[in-house]
Amino acid sequence: MKHGVLRRLSMRLEAPMGRALIWSVVVIAFVFLYAPMIVVAGASFSGGAHGAIEFPPTDLTLMRYRTIPVSQYRAIWFSLELATVSAVLSVAIGVPAALGLVRGNLPGKAVIAAIFRAPIQIPAVVLGITLLQLSYTASDALNLDLAGSFTALVVAHTFIGTPYVIGTVTAILQRFDRRLEEAALSLGASPWRGFRRVTMPVIMPGLYAGALYAFMVSFSDVPIAIFLAAPDSATYPVEIFQGLEQNFDPSILASATLVIVFCFALMLVVQRLIGLETLLRTGGTGRR
Amino acid sequence: MKLTGAMQVRGQIRPRKSNGALARLLGPQPRRRDTTARDGGSTLAWNIMTLPPLLLFIIMLIASQSLFIAGSFHRDLGLGRTAAAWDLANYVRVLTDSLYLQCLLTTIRVSAVATLGTLLLSFPVAYVIARMRSRWAMLLLAGIVASTFITIVVKAFGLMIIFAGNGILNRVVMGLGLASEPVKLLGTETGVVVGLMQFTLGFAVLLLYSVLQTIPRSFEEAAQAHGASRLRVFWRILLPLSLPGLSVGSLMIFNMCMGAFTSAALLGAGHVLTLPVLIQQTIMMQVKYSMAGTLAVVLLVVVLLINLVSLFLMRRLRAARTLIA
Repeated sequence: MKHGVLRRLSMRLEAPMGRALIWSVVVIAFVFLYAPMIVVAGASFSGGAHGAIEFPPTDLTLMRYRTIPVSQYRAIWFSLELATVSAVLSVAIGVPAALGLVRGNLPGKAVIAAIFRAPIQIPAVVLGITLLQLSYTASDALNLDLAGSFTALVVAHTFIGTPYVIGTVTAILQRFDRRLEEAALSLGASPWRGFRRVTMPVIMPGLYAGALYAFMVSFSDVPIAIFLAAPDSATYPVEIFQGLEQNFDPSILASATLVIVFCFALMLVVQRLIGLETLLRTGGTGRR
Repeated sequence: MKLTGAMQVRGQIRPRKSNGALARLLGPQPRRRDTTARDGGSTLAWNIMTLPPLLLFIIMLIASQSLFIAGSFHRDLGLGRTAAAWDLANYVRVLTDSLYLQCLLTTIRVSAVATLGTLLLSFPVAYVIARMRSRWAMLLLAGIVASTFITIVVKAFGLMIIFAGNGILNRVVMGLGLASEPVKLLGTETGVVVGLMQFTLGFAVLLLYSVLQTIPRSFEEAAQAHGASRLRVFWRILLPLSLPGLSVGSLMIFNMCMGAFTSAALLGAGHVLTLPVLIQQTIMMQVKYSMAGTLAVVLLVVVLLINLVSLFLMRRLRAARTLIA
């Protein structure tokens, strides 16, 4: 009897308590995810004593932004170029690969898909040193100076960007009703026209999402670029990494804030273009 | 025993793949062969489309991987030069030197703890988002995706500021009287674990969300309607149904941690050495290419072994469960 009352009471209390518990974990997770960015952005507006980092900021000034050295702007620009070229190449390689993977009938599709995923399964540091050695060997063989060049970085970042394009485009293609294209063909469209007018518009969102992921993978990579980048042509993430390990410059706070804002803005633009749902559905997992 | 288990599992999956009844109702279905026959030429075209990228990938993989694996079997001569003769000296050293073994153990320990922490944090978040009916779900999910777009260098930098001796964490902790002197997290394994969690949390939420989304809400509602408590619903319905996805997902998170470089290097601050950090230092500071290659091979093999063993254990576990049920 007494147990029955207690049990009912505990059942009555359990739902709200469970909800409170689960929601507090959600809040903690979001605070945890965003706290580092908020701290960096907040501290970037604080002048403080020279070189000191303050969060919460004691005074509001744009001093850190005015003193961003040219080298950091150059690194950001270098990273933007690199990420753009790598994303475009990833799309150029990834889209045909995905089309063939979904629509072709090559034997061992699972193996082929695994090969296309391999670059993002190998730990990035391992990929970094292997590509460094490859660039040395290729330089010797072709009598070029590839090591530490923009070309070597583009090759490396295209290598890790393409799997994302293949992933997003494959995700779209697998839901695509082939009969739409067949209808176009039976109505007299040429195969190319059918592809361009029916298939292309359908896979476009996958292409954009894949390009965004490929861009971001390149734009945030440290473990590969740290091996391949030459001292005078460091990517932005490598520049910050080395700044944090060696000679720290508080203007990193300001440039990092600019980069955070840029990344969010880029995601918003792509989200406007293809819709949030497509962006979420087509992937976003398993990046480094 | 093992065989029956495997057969049972396979037998379970098969009927789902071919919906036999439906196929029989619709009559003979030469559909697949039919389209291939009709546009055999275009299937060939699709196949040809895959080949150049595939060739490119195979060449890149073989060229890069064979070079460094071969390189790992030579001795370093210093200044970046390696001996021409083949030997196992590097491997003998890695497997006998306690420094390298320590480093390997640290990597595994830190990765395992971080994976566990990430799972504990991400599961409730993924569950809440998967069960939300309003547009808020999309917004929360967008918040997670957006956070994964920011480079880990910046996030690790933020954590370093938070963890600093006079940082916000220590001021709060000491202000609350939880500690009398600053808590040291930078350069400790705990700090590295937090850094790895920062690295994996967003992906883990997305991963678990896609798993939990496939579990029909009605299962939970039915159990609750019959008086099952929330804990019991979690234990008897959510966990078993999400277990296949959850176990594969946690392996992916573990792999991410094992290979994580940036967060481990920055938060370890030179005091905590994980394998990826050691590999980078071996090249950048000691300029020992073949030793770094050896360490990379060891990292790859250890990750592969851990994955194979756990996949094998999971399969055994599932087979055992189907036998009991």
